[in-house]
Amino acid sequence: MTDSFTRRDFLKVMGAGAAATVLTGCGPASRYVTREPYTKMPEYTYNGQSTYYATTCRECAAGCGLILRTHQGRAIKAEGNKFHPLNQGKTCARGQATLHGMYNPDRVQFPAQHARGDATLTEMDWDAAIAVVQKALQDPQGTQFLLGTASDHLFDLVTDVCQAVGAPSPLRFGALSMFEARATLGEASRAVFGKPDLLFFDIANADLVISFGANFLETWLSPVAYTRGYAQMRRGDVRGHFVQLEPRLSETAAKADEWYPLLPGAEGLVVSALGKLFAEQKFGVAPAAFEMVDLAAAAEASGLTLEQFERLAALLLRAERPVILPGGAALAQAEGLETAKAILTLNALLDNLGKAGGVFHTPAAPLADSYHRPASAAEISALVKRMNAGEVNTLLVHGVNPLFELPAALGLEAALQKVKTVISFATFPDETALAADYIFPDHHGLESWGYQRVQTGAGQSALSGSQPVVVPYYNTRATADVLIAAAGDALPFKDEVEFLQSKVAALVEAPGGFYSAADLPSFWALFQQYGGWWQNDSSASAPSAAGALEKKLTFHAPEAAHAEGEHEEFSLYVYPSPILAEAGANKPWLQEIADPTTTVMWNSWLEMNPETAHHLGIEDDDVVRVISPAGEVEVSVYRYPAIRPDVVAIPFGQGHTAYGRYAENRGVNPALLFSAETNAAGDLAFGGVKVKIEKTGKKRPLSRLESKMGVYGFGEEH
Amino acid sequence: MANLLEILKKKEVVLLLVIAFLALLSGGAWAMYQTQIPPEQPIQFPHNIHVGLQIQCLYCHPGAQRQASAGLPTQQKCWACHGQLRKYSDPAAPVALNLWPTELQKLAGYVERNEPIPWVPVYQVPDHVHFNHRPHIAAGFACETCHGDMSKKTVATVGETVNMGWCINCHLENSVEDPLKRTKLIDCATCHY
Amino acid sequence: MAIPKIPEFKAEWKEGEEGRWGMAVDMDLCTGCQACVVACSMENNVPFVGEAEAGYGRSLGWIRVERLWEGQYPEVKMTPYQPVMCQQCGSAPCEPVCPVFATVHSQAEQLNVQVYNRCVGTRYCANNCPYVVRVFNWADFDRPDPLPNQFNPDVTVRRRGVMEKCTFCIQRIHRAEDQAKAEGREVLDGEAQPACAQACPADAIVFGRLDDPESRVSKLSRSNRGSHLLEELGTQPRVTYLKGGSNDRLG
Repeated sequence: MTDSFTRRDFLKVMGAGAAATVLTGCGPASRYVTREPYTKMPEYTYNGQSTYYATTCRECAAGCGLILRTHQGRAIKAEGNKFHPLNQGKTCARGQATLHGMYNPDRVQFPAQHARGDATLTEMDWDAAIAVVQKALQDPQGTQFLLGTASDHLFDLVTDVCQAVGAPSPLRFGALSMFEARATLGEASRAVFGKPDLLFFDIANADLVISFGANFLETWLSPVAYTRGYAQMRRGDVRGHFVQLEPRLSETAAKADEWYPLLPGAEGLVVSALGKLFAEQKFGVAPAAFEMVDLAAAAEASGLTLEQFERLAALLLRAERPVILPGGAALAQAEGLETAKAILTLNALLDNLGKAGGVFHTPAAPLADSYHRPASAAEISALVKRMNAGEVNTLLVHGVNPLFELPAALGLEAALQKVKTVISFATFPDETALAADYIFPDHHGLESWGYQRVQTGAGQSALSGSQPVVVPYYNTRATADVLIAAAGDALPFKDEVEFLQSKVAALVEAPGGFYSAADLPSFWALFQQYGGWWQNDSSASAPSAAGALEKKLTFHAPEAAHAEGEHEEFSLYVYPSPILAEAGANKPWLQEIADPTTTVMWNSWLEMNPETAHHLGIEDDDVVRVISPAGEVEVSVYRYPAIRPDVVAIPFGQGHTAYGRYAENRGVNPALLFSAETNAAGDLAFGGVKVKIEKTGKKRPLSRLESKMGVYGFGEEH
Repeated sequence: MANLLEILKKKEVVLLLVIAFLALLSGGAWAMYQTQIPPEQPIQFPHNIHVGLQIQCLYCHPGAQRQASAGLPTQQKCWACHGQLRKYSDPAAPVALNLWPTELQKLAGYVERNEPIPWVPVYQVPDHVHFNHRPHIAAGFACETCHGDMSKKTVATVGETVNMGWCINCHLENSVEDPLKRTKLIDCATCHY
Repeated sequence: MAIPKIPEFKAEWKEGEEGRWGMAVDMDLCTGCQACVVACSMENNVPFVGEAEAGYGRSLGWIRVERLWEGQYPEVKMTPYQPVMCQQCGSAPCEPVCPVFATVHSQAEQLNVQVYNRCVGTRYCANNCPYVVRVFNWADFDRPDPLPNQFNPDVTVRRRGVMEKCTFCIQRIHRAEDQAKAEGREVLDGEAQPACAQACPADAIVFGRLDDPESRVSKLSRSNRGSHLLEELGTQPRVTYLKGGSNDRLG
């Protein structure tokens, strides 16, 4: 493809001279620097003027469109793509910091072989690397791919490769999908609406949003799109009302008008209670789905009061366009699937399906043959079993760091020992890459071709396109190109770009597009120019919940934490860090960003109610040992004023043992505390984990942006 | 204090001081001289010949008209002409490359190796100064006002002492009638940010 | 060479002047997501300082998102997130205290500017700033290769001993002004966008001309939801904070 070559020529550039100039800073004018002009001037480029490229953010799976400002072949700044239906010109903190991933000093710089666990890499050449992959593909039955949630084009290619050579289908995984319990949501959608889907909740047009632990302003599903929806809801002529129910006040709950700290695991009971109260007051009779619930018992078990139930039911009655959100924390429980069904059923009862401010089926993304959700913990467990049984000879990992992101209790680390060859395509020397035999680094997302399907967040069917904005900085190679080369004649493509063109060719004729083109070359040019393809009009459809109200849903009271004796027990609440999420810890500026609620920087903390801390004799910055049946971690305490006294919380995102200098040996990984218990949909039921807290007598101060006086001040009794 | 005066009366000390003073003076003079001589360039580019051929400044430095940096021409641009000069590449009687003038041989070498030519900037401002060519050209200033008469120079040399006083003087002279313009032209934030 | 007389130095701000560039921050929309902070740091070559230095309060971010707590559990509430950056005061307390005129008022843009090459690091300006938005380069903070590739060439890379602060992304203002001038027109509303406003997913930060009564920011600044930070000090801040919640039908 000529495009890929011209692009490389485009960027064949000086860098050094320009960087040297910039680096001298405020110092005396550095007289003897050199300025090296382009050898061939790229089309539409002028010396000293920035060139902007449209591409797709790969910091999470949402697929927001980015515009990258590049200057003399260096990427300078990520900005949102105004035309993109998902983020409409906006970005989140992680999207902004994506350049610190590309220009990170700790990237894997060449294809390498190494002893497992040893950080010293022995350089290989790419031909040898391709031969290794080729050899793996010659034993298709023993080959297993484990991919991340971005990017979709690679998943499609790997699916093609696996089909062509007869290998088992690839698995995808991402910690965010675990925290969002996507398998549970998809399964509940299938059970209630008859179609597995991530659904689209139109909060922009709602006048009442009741969210059960959905942190949609942080990381949930598609945070930029939902933040935009939130802003629109607040900006309306009638300001939308927002209620959040979760054990700790999150960044999202901080924006709520009302926050109800319920006990984790009681969400299903509360949903049922609300459904019953609402239906009784509105229709005189509760539907079968909710009639079983005992209001008083539900109040008792959830830690809320009957008055609060009445208040919420009254809100539902007065609201014209209410919507209920199923957050991951509510779903990642033993009864999570039932809870998800109850929430979707309550939406059906509120009659908001397919209506403004209600619940929609996300339109099928372009090129989607079916809904490919990331693997649940149960499916990963099955893979671990196969690995332990010696059925997997080669494991190929791309775009995911399972040794960090998965609970240790799943036993992946031990299972990896049974796999003869582990190949990692990581751009970073993360935990999994270091446990592999080979690292064949892929380009960074900004140096790559590709596409990502928009699964939720926009009413339009949308496909985000990626293109390299700069020449690859290191001796990396696109994993797609490596696989195409290794698969040889099994695939009809010469390289990644040819593969992508063969895929998007189906869209040239598609109706209702943002642009239209007569043939593939012009379509491909527009696809790069606008950063993808999408429809002009929303095609979100109304779900149908026929019969759902008649299906009985039953819930049990969650097991309360024991509060007796010396070893007090707490429910552990783990949430993805709003700033770092699953893979942000290697970016120094994200580390330096203050957490929105605690303002802690560069570390992990344990949130504990000040009353509880006082009772236990724990102060801020005291290091405590958090012990669960699965493991233990040591972490500094942050006395958090807005958390249930019987709950402690730790953010997920830190605690790396590898992954570059900015991430290594910093904070703790709460996934070490999870058990391998799953819910009925196969998602990890981490919501029920109980922990004990032990004092260690040590103190480790947390760096925080707020004054060292803390929330309550030093030495003040309260 | 008296002690110090006693020491200063010694001949050797005075001599040493004089030597130190002279060393400093000559060092300073050398440093100042260094800023005034044109730097070594990879190719002794003859501006005079090109200007003599009626080639416009903006043909090779088009950025001056539209943006901050005037820009250096790509070697592709150089070669567009030099690759087909009648004098050397007449199909009837081509001249072998090693018989070309030395400077052109260097250019041919860079083109052949597809290597950027490492020019050394002559006019440059410190990094805390953000100079923009476009408004100066738009205001009708000729290139030679600042860069000197290039038809008389081979490689570029500094014709003016480029410092802030020089900038401000010109800005003041050219905003006598217009207080609004002067506000903008002598504002710190116009160049420093 | 006849050099015309340079105007005398005088206090630039006059009572009733609305300023030129301004910002409106809707605290009802701000979700505290910190996208503005990262965007600002990326645009303006702001260094990161590491855990220990950050703990001493030496972070160099030009914006911070403030929040406070009210009440005690369970009746505890967080105050609305409030992004605080340089308020670009019309009558700025930081300006008169600088002994070397490094902290000056830009007459042309009506902004407070920090002239890095003049700054000698007395930090008087930071001491006198009631908003605590000035940050000081206590060291040359390490940005190992190849991180400097990401530097924005339009913004000076500051060294140790220099005070810095939000500039309202003056390099973007200049770019927009230059573009408009080249095309022979005025700067359009929304054409000059600082990095924070551009990134904000909730569109809570609105930036534009205050001297154009029809601009989005002018309209928001006149809103009865608006207030200024510490306006009783008479600093004439150019940032308006909007509170929300009055039209909540269900609340």
